[in-house]
Amino acid sequence: MSSATKAFMLNWHIANRALNTPLPPQTARHRADFSADEIAGPLDERIIAAASEAMEAGQTHYVDVPGIGPLREALADYLNGACGSAFGSGNIIVTAGVQEARFLTIQKIGEMFDSIGVPEVAHPGVQKALGVRRRNVVSLPADGARGYLPTIDGIAAAVTDGCRLLYLESPSRLSGAAYSADEVAAISQIVNEHEAAVIWDQGLSVWIDGAYNSLTAHESTPTRVAALSDGWPGMGLSSWFLGAIAAPEEWMPSMQSQKQIMAICTATATQFAALEAGQIYNESHAERLAQLARQREGLLQAAAAANLEVVAGGALNIIALRAGASGEAALDKLRESGADGGDFGAPDTIRLTVSNSTATALG
Amino acid sequence: MSQKKADQGTNLLYKLIGEARGYDDVIVMGRGDPDFDTPPHIVAAAKEAMIHHHADYTPPAGLPALREAIAERVKRVNNIDVDPATEVVVTNGGQEALFLMVLATVGPGDEMIVPEPNYNTYADSLDFAGATKIEVQTWPQEDFRADPALVRAAVTDRTRALLLVSPNNPCASVISPGDMRAMLDIAIERDLMILSDEIYDLFVYDDFVHTSPASLPGGKERTLTLNALSKSYSMTGWRLGWITGPADLMARVTELKAAATGGASVISQYAGIAALTGPQEPVEMMAAAYQRRRRLVLDALDEMGMKYGLPQGGQFVFADIAFTGLDSAEVAQRMLTEQHVLAYPGSAFSKDRKDYLRMTFLQPEDKLIEGLERMKVAMQGIVADGS
Repeated sequence: MSSATKAFMLNWHIANRALNTPLPPQTARHRADFSADEIAGPLDERIIAAASEAMEAGQTHYVDVPGIGPLREALADYLNGACGSAFGSGNIIVTAGVQEARFLTIQKIGEMFDSIGVPEVAHPGVQKALGVRRRNVVSLPADGARGYLPTIDGIAAAVTDGCRLLYLESPSRLSGAAYSADEVAAISQIVNEHEAAVIWDQGLSVWIDGAYNSLTAHESTPTRVAALSDGWPGMGLSSWFLGAIAAPEEWMPSMQSQKQIMAICTATATQFAALEAGQIYNESHAERLAQLARQREGLLQAAAAANLEVVAGGALNIIALRAGASGEAALDKLRESGADGGDFGAPDTIRLTVSNSTATALG
Repeated sequence: MSQKKADQGTNLLYKLIGEARGYDDVIVMGRGDPDFDTPPHIVAAAKEAMIHHHADYTPPAGLPALREAIAERVKRVNNIDVDPATEVVVTNGGQEALFLMVLATVGPGDEMIVPEPNYNTYADSLDFAGATKIEVQTWPQEDFRADPALVRAAVTDRTRALLLVSPNNPCASVISPGDMRAMLDIAIERDLMILSDEIYDLFVYDDFVHTSPASLPGGKERTLTLNALSKSYSMTGWRLGWITGPADLMARVTELKAAATGGASVISQYAGIAALTGPQEPVEMMAAAYQRRRRLVLDALDEMGMKYGLPQGGQFVFADIAFTGLDSAEVAQRMLTEQHVLAYPGSAFSKDRKDYLRMTFLQPEDKLIEGLERMKVAMQGIVADGS
């Protein structure tokens, strides 16, 4: 068939580089794949039991668009406990994974502003979400020495120049680096001075060993920040696609309406599984962190031996590497098994999931 | 900063759903959520998947085994040949499929022809894409037939696509094989894409026949076809649907899917494999039940003297309530508040259908009978107040 209409559609899509940005997988594709955010662990029997019980009780139907009430409450409690925020269940939308959270916030909060400031280096899902319906994008320069986090000066310049919506990751989805308390305070001050708003991806914050500084905890900003989270990372639910948005109430209606338009609700069994995961999360999280810290230490040594430069990080679940003085060959070897930093905006970098077997890829 | 006004039709329905939840004795004849629970063998497969496959990698297009099951299904039921590797994308229910189909085919300034009334979310998705909905009206005296001649007359230089929902939601019409061929001929002649929503294809009544445009000669290469497990297997909460279409367009759909949500729950996908490859008796049982309930509802509406288009398929009746003299939103509100019966106002589906109510027959027969009795009382009250 020769169809000018179809050719027109295809050409538009093919030329859309942002939309065509490859995404790293949600979970490892095979045993030697270290490109996901985390290595999925076993599923606790209590999670299986809770989801099974719900399904057998007839929880196989539509549920509320923003999520089942108890899960929204649990997510609010979890975020408040971990990040020092003050969200209620009415501030929460349960999403079908963190990518839906990115999409909803970028598209719907983005409608309220003329432009959006996006880090030069960020998760490729950000570019993909922007590619669906183009917005005016202001690039926030990244600091390679600070794990590719946008510089505070760059953020200030963008906001001063009129960009009133920022998309920020802390920790960085590429390096795991997170903003310090002082830096978060500086961002908060910039945001308030200019009546700006922020979409704040704090999904990897659970992997920070020690205090995490969330913009949502700043008293002066809670009405200006929407936070994105993965649902209880490390609990074996990454292939179930569970994420969340926590946002000021006035931003909720348009995002809820869009969630209804594009999915009606998040899968019911997933929500009941997540509810149980939240209840048992703290039992094992400290142990998970300790294990990751040990594995990461081994990886740091292997990276040094391979002449690879470790990008400044913070989150224990990932490690980002550059070639360094003589590590080109070693970095090339990792391209098959790691996430390509080029998809994030940093072509000379590879991201690896931290696990027992990741050192094999380096060796 | 300014907040864009959320869609009125969608929000109206959710307002009613929210209020209905507050009544213990409410009878829901509004939402398209089957009263049957998901068949046990599907639930059992999901439990099995939690044990053995909870961390399987799921590509944005869906698990290969599920795509193969979908390809087999669309061949068996719809007579469409698709390559599971390149021509199937798994979605978070029919709703996401609908959204992605619209985004894949139209953009700012484009037009899509939509026989009206229609499912309200299509208007929302077109609005999101920046495209314009060109309405072609259908009427109850013709059982809401979409007339190809009217469709042809509506095509302009900006028209990119034609939406066909058969069986239709909310008016339950089925496009006949002859009309479907005529629609496809228009699409070929005017170089339009077809978006075919076939989510109710297993529920067609009497002697009516479901036809997939992609199954017709010249149809597949210009048609995106949507379906889902929600209605046919009573799996609304699992959020599992799919789009099939030509490989070049489906490659774009896959990118859009990855951008919007990334993937679908692995557990839902294994449940979906069980649904499509397992015993089909539950679907036949549900179809038989809907056939009986449809008759029951139509008899009650006849008794009330209400006009409607004959539901040829689907799970709805779209009835004319002009005799009440009130806007359908007000009628629906009074039915809910006074009699605790939830039906959907026609105005939520089309601005021109304020004289209609959409009623589902997704309740057990005893509840349906009671709901219809309560509806009769409400209608009598409304008419008495107006006289």
